[in-house]
Amino acid sequence: MELRINNLTKEFGGFTAVDHLNLTMENGVYGLLGVNGAGKTTFMKMLCTLLTPTEGEIRCNGREIREMDGEYRKILGYLPQDFGFYPEFSVQDYLLYIAALKGLRPVVAKRRARELIEKTGLRKAAKKKMRALSGGMKRRAGIAQAMLNNPKILVLDEPTAGLDPNERIRFRNLISELAEERLVLLSTHIVSDVEYIANQILLMKGGRIVLEGEASELIDSMEEGVWSVFARKNEVSAFMKKYKVSNLKTEHDGVELRIIAGKRPARDAVLVDANLEDVFLYYFGEKAGEENAAV
Amino acid sequence: MLRFELKKIWSKRMNQGAVLLLLVIVIAGSFLAARDVKYYKEDGSSVSGIFAAGRLRREKNKWKGYVTEDVLKKVVEENKRAHDEADTADGAFIKYQGLSDLREWINSGMAGRENYDYYLCDSISTDTAATLYEKRVSLLKEEFAGQGYSKEEKEVLLRRYGEFEAPLYYGYADGWKAVLDSQYLPTLMIISIVIIGFLVSGVFSCEFQLGADSVFFSANYGRNRGVLAKVEACFAVVTVIYWAAMLLFTGLVLGMLGAQGAGLMIQTDSLNWMCMYNITFAEKWLLTMFGGYVAHLCILFFAVLVSAKSRSAVAAVTIPFALSCAPMFLGRVPFLTKAMNLFPDMLLRISTFLRDNLIYTIGGKGHGVYEILIPVYLLLALLMMPVMYAGYRRSELG
Ligand SMILES: Nc1ncnc2c1ncn2[C@@H]1O[C@H](COP(=O)(O)OP(=O)(O)O)[C@@H](O)[C@H]1O
Ligand SMILES: [Mg+2]
Repeated sequence: MELRINNLTKEFGGFTAVDHLNLTMENGVYGLLGVNGAGKTTFMKMLCTLLTPTEGEIRCNGREIREMDGEYRKILGYLPQDFGFYPEFSVQDYLLYIAALKGLRPVVAKRRARELIEKTGLRKAAKKKMRALSGGMKRRAGIAQAMLNNPKILVLDEPTAGLDPNERIRFRNLISELAEERLVLLSTHIVSDVEYIANQILLMKGGRIVLEGEASELIDSMEEGVWSVFARKNEVSAFMKKYKVSNLKTEHDGVELRIIAGKRPARDAVLVDANLEDVFLYYFGEKAGEENAAV
Repeated sequence: MLRFELKKIWSKRMNQGAVLLLLVIVIAGSFLAARDVKYYKEDGSSVSGIFAAGRLRREKNKWKGYVTEDVLKKVVEENKRAHDEADTADGAFIKYQGLSDLREWINSGMAGRENYDYYLCDSISTDTAATLYEKRVSLLKEEFAGQGYSKEEKEVLLRRYGEFEAPLYYGYADGWKAVLDSQYLPTLMIISIVIIGFLVSGVFSCEFQLGADSVFFSANYGRNRGVLAKVEACFAVVTVIYWAAMLLFTGLVLGMLGAQGAGLMIQTDSLNWMCMYNITFAEKWLLTMFGGYVAHLCILFFAVLVSAKSRSAVAAVTIPFALSCAPMFLGRVPFLTKAMNLFPDMLLRISTFLRDNLIYTIGGKGHGVYEILIPVYLLLALLMMPVMYAGYRRSELG
């Protein structure tokens, strides 16, 4: 499976949400990392033929996906960011309906729905109405519907947003499990999500992919160092103004700061190993999603 | 997939409530329609509906048969005798209930629409009454002199009147009259179209409203068979609910009042005496019901189309209401009357408007308005199905 994206662009009015994207993806897990508004959802909607590109094209094994029409959608699974459903349907009905919509024969649909209900841990909720499910359960039903047709291309838009830390870890494991033998693209604004499950990381900013590679490559690409500095409380704001600070840890006699800087920011600063969080801050100039702090 | 589309509709509490409401209205409407049929007993008290049907049938069927000149003379004589024997007008009425229909033929058939006189039959001579069928044509010609009938309109009316076969065969048909010639049926049709509009309002728009659109359109059949299932669901709901409501209404009324008289000409109901359509009650029922069905399809498909485009159910709820009611009021504005006669809501009111003999001229030839409206709106309704399909399957999700 190969997806080749050429010059992909989407404009809304005069605003360019996705800006001449060029990218090739093969089987494996791709983590699309970017702040809110970076254009991740817009990009994914084009991948799922929901939006027509203003310019450029997407080719699947050489063929334009919109021309492939049903043939392409047949191998596609999509978990949208804002995922809606039919409130009066039970989880099972919902999955059977989407299975029919995906063209599965009734016998196959029943079997797949049962398997996925099992796999996503929804067995107890299978007969429950969708409106009665918790946020995490809904998300699991969402991933189950995306997997019904055993897609070769799986697109997950912010699959972990809004989940509590435990749910998020379980969810990551589930995704890792499902990721074999297919192309998975998952977007997030939470660094730790991709750190664990993505082989390839795509950093998206202002509608462009500014950097791509494995985590270690991304870390190596930083041209500044990461420093640990111990400072008194009244010095903190001065540091914050001057440098990118990726972490603050308050101790009883001061504050430990994690600072990204080209030169040693203070006399007693110690050079430490960079991680993806630092990369994120380095390229985006702001910290990754807040929920991140919880994990 | 059709099954799931129907399930989406039916699983909503509001929709179940709407269907229940329609059911209650149909049942209530059929009782009201039947209640208008009354029989007066000797002591002056009256019974109605199912309790009146048997006695009225017996009384009226005494006159069953071809109403020839001799029968018409006999009507006048019997009417006179009833008046002579009774002390009061009410007392007389109780006696001539069996011939009350035929008495009305004479009242309305000898005087014309404008000069209707309830007591005409009491004073008319037997020989004059015998000219009833000829009078029908001469009344028409009188109308021609008064109002601005076009050449084509006159031609159509005269031809249809010429095709009218006298004498008429008379018999008890109060069940059919209650179904077709009361005000309840048009009202019921308006209620049914509004309620069905409510049911189908979400078929297309709900995907957007619920945010289920992304999954829907990115699925294999999301831009073909899945959409087709929605069109089918609309068609199925309109068809099933409409016919269920109408058959239930008809069945209940006929069940209470009797189904006899289906093969009688509609002119045997004096309300329709001047009607130019030479058809039986059963044929009028088919015409009315089929016309109503076409109106339902057309108006509701249009409503669904707008709601699919606007991605909101509001249009589908309001359009049926607006299209079935507004023309009634707008039609009162004189210069709009003619145009309003071409609105699809006319098809909801065939049962009452048929007797107005509305004629439209196309290419120098006059046609009954329904001979134009039914095929045109049927065609429109059928055309809207592919439009719904084609429009929806190309949805962009910004
Ligand atoms: N339908 C739309 N019309 C106008 N602007 C839009 C539309 N969809 C997205 N945008 C804009 O495009 C930008 C990228 O949005 P999005 O793709 O949702 O980003 P992300 O998923 O990375 O948070 C945002 O600034 C957003 O406001
Ligand atoms: Mg997004």
